[in-house]
Amino acid sequence: MANDPEKHVQTILLVEDETEMATEILAELETRGYLVRHASIAEAADAARVGAAAMMIMDRIVFGEDSLVTLEALRKEGVKVPVLVISALSSVDEKVKGLKAGGDDYLTKPFAMVELAARVEAMLRRLVDVRTTKLRVGDLEMDLIEKTVHRGDAKIDLLPREFRLLEYFLRHPGRVITRAMLLQEVWQYHFSLETNVVDVHISNLRKKIDNKGVPSLIVNIRGAGFMLNANA
Amino acid sequence: MLEFFRSSAVRVALAFVLVTTAATTAIFGLVYFQIGEANEARNRLILETEAATSVNRSVDELRTAFEVRLTNDLRRIDYAALFDADHKFMFGNVDALPAIPVDGKSHFIAAAHVPGSVDRLEPAIFVVRQRPDGTVMLLGRSLLETLAYGRIVQRALVAGLAPMLLLALGIGAYFARRSSRRLTAIHDTIARIMKGDTDLRLPIGSGRDPIDKISRDVNLMLDEIVRLLVQLKGVGDNIAHDLRSPLAVVHAQLERGLESSSDEQLRSVVKQALAHIDKATLTVAALLRLADVEYGPKSRNFQQIDLSAICADLFEFYEPLAESKSIKMTLETQSPVQILGDSDLMREAVSNLIGNAIKFTPENGTVSISVIREDGLPVVRVRDSGIGVEPGERDKIFQRFYRTSSGHRVPGSGLGLSIAAAIANLHELDLRFTDNNPGAVFEMVGRRR
Repeated sequence: MANDPEKHVQTILLVEDETEMATEILAELETRGYLVRHASIAEAADAARVGAAAMMIMDRIVFGEDSLVTLEALRKEGVKVPVLVISALSSVDEKVKGLKAGGDDYLTKPFAMVELAARVEAMLRRLVDVRTTKLRVGDLEMDLIEKTVHRGDAKIDLLPREFRLLEYFLRHPGRVITRAMLLQEVWQYHFSLETNVVDVHISNLRKKIDNKGVPSLIVNIRGAGFMLNANA
Repeated sequence: MLEFFRSSAVRVALAFVLVTTAATTAIFGLVYFQIGEANEARNRLILETEAATSVNRSVDELRTAFEVRLTNDLRRIDYAALFDADHKFMFGNVDALPAIPVDGKSHFIAAAHVPGSVDRLEPAIFVVRQRPDGTVMLLGRSLLETLAYGRIVQRALVAGLAPMLLLALGIGAYFARRSSRRLTAIHDTIARIMKGDTDLRLPIGSGRDPIDKISRDVNLMLDEIVRLLVQLKGVGDNIAHDLRSPLAVVHAQLERGLESSSDEQLRSVVKQALAHIDKATLTVAALLRLADVEYGPKSRNFQQIDLSAICADLFEFYEPLAESKSIKMTLETQSPVQILGDSDLMREAVSNLIGNAIKFTPENGTVSISVIREDGLPVVRVRDSGIGVEPGERDKIFQRFYRTSSGHRVPGSGLGLSIAAAIANLHELDLRFTDNNPGAVFEMVGRRR
């Protein structure tokens, strides 16, 4: 993934007062080829104002101050930089607060680094998302208006949920997608599950979209989730 | 004593006494003033009229009239005298003309010598008039009566005020002592509560005065604070309890890893350690979630939600999982079953029940979900043909972390049912277990009010 050229021009600003956590996040994102700058909240806000950041990762509480205040101020000024809020405050109310203040996503601590990386990827991807009526990966094509899916010439019948699941993958090709992201984005379920329902849904979807004898379009990423193979 | 005067009741009583005294004194003063004024005005009129009508009488007639008048004046309040043209005394009971104009009008003299006495001085009104024969006639009347009225009024004032003052002070003292006793009791109770006696509550008296009202509010507040304290401690204990064992395991594993001779071995140890840490993290998240549901703000934004729609949604979500285990899953809804609630929370609760049912039901079993109204009460029922719950364990399954002996091999935090129960409770539903022979029935039933 580090060879993706588009990543190298994007600076991610990291606002985090816990040094160890910051070091880990920096290391994780840098190995994935991002340019990350560890900044104070004031520096980050200034950089965001002049458009010098592709996105911002913001700890909810920095040195005892609620960083949502700064975020709200930035949003009022019309600064549109995508912001991922990370926080140990995990209740639904806190998440809602974070999103209301202008956060684009909210991740609660502790989280797996792959989860963070996946969110960052999805968020940067959102930027280049264009309004399109057709999504395509290899010979798999989805028509968003007709609500149809074709693999080569063969029409694939999908249930509405399967269609939305596949659409999410097609909108994020080549990106790691976690189970939590799918639950949240496809089903709008904001709680964690102790069962492997999501895996069953993926496996059902695979059965419908994959051709026999060729590797699956959706691959498992161990310890993280799934990825739609963009080069298929 | 100082304490006594600081008491608000005593201060109020004193202020009341002061105001009453002032008001009463003012009323008495007004009465006195009005009576005195009226008396004086009447005397002035009488004297002036008499002086005018006596002008035409002869000196002898006057002498007789004066004698009769002064003889009959037992109270010694009348003054009458005649002086010649040179203002020399002729007869009567006043031997010298006072220093007032000779104009037939009444004049006030603050200290007139009382006839027949040596040095008694009294306020009086005098009229001095020139007669046609040149003589000067003096008529006067003491204002002693008015003074007497004043003294009566004063006595009445004292006689009336004194008992009233005493009464007010007494009542004030009584209430002050009563309220200070109660305040002291409250103060002592608060001190003991602050020292850690959190089961104590403020004493409540007969029940209707402000102190009782405030005490009741404070007691409610204490209940809430104690509840939060208990939950905080509970959450802390639970987290500590549930982190200790995975930490110990991870510790042991990592130690073993240090001893390992090959990279392969080390990797496997690290993987196991990571898995344990992940599990601990999940448990902490579940515990915090439970605490959030159980003790979070009670005033959530509840809206009308449809249990049927929520179950239909989850049915569709879980169906593939059931199919993968060849479990026959059915849904019976009686759309719509509306309740006031939070759809995210409700989804989580029902998701836990359905997830459990599938988890604990072996292949080729059945899971049936029904959403109905029974006797007007909303019911969500999840029935399975799984392993069920042993009779001895039925009252424990809703406890935190409890994993049934037979369910131990199935992964899970052991908090799912606790969270579901907490969410049900928040929606005024009861989560109950009944036997399905074989299998389990978990149902959330609305409470009858």
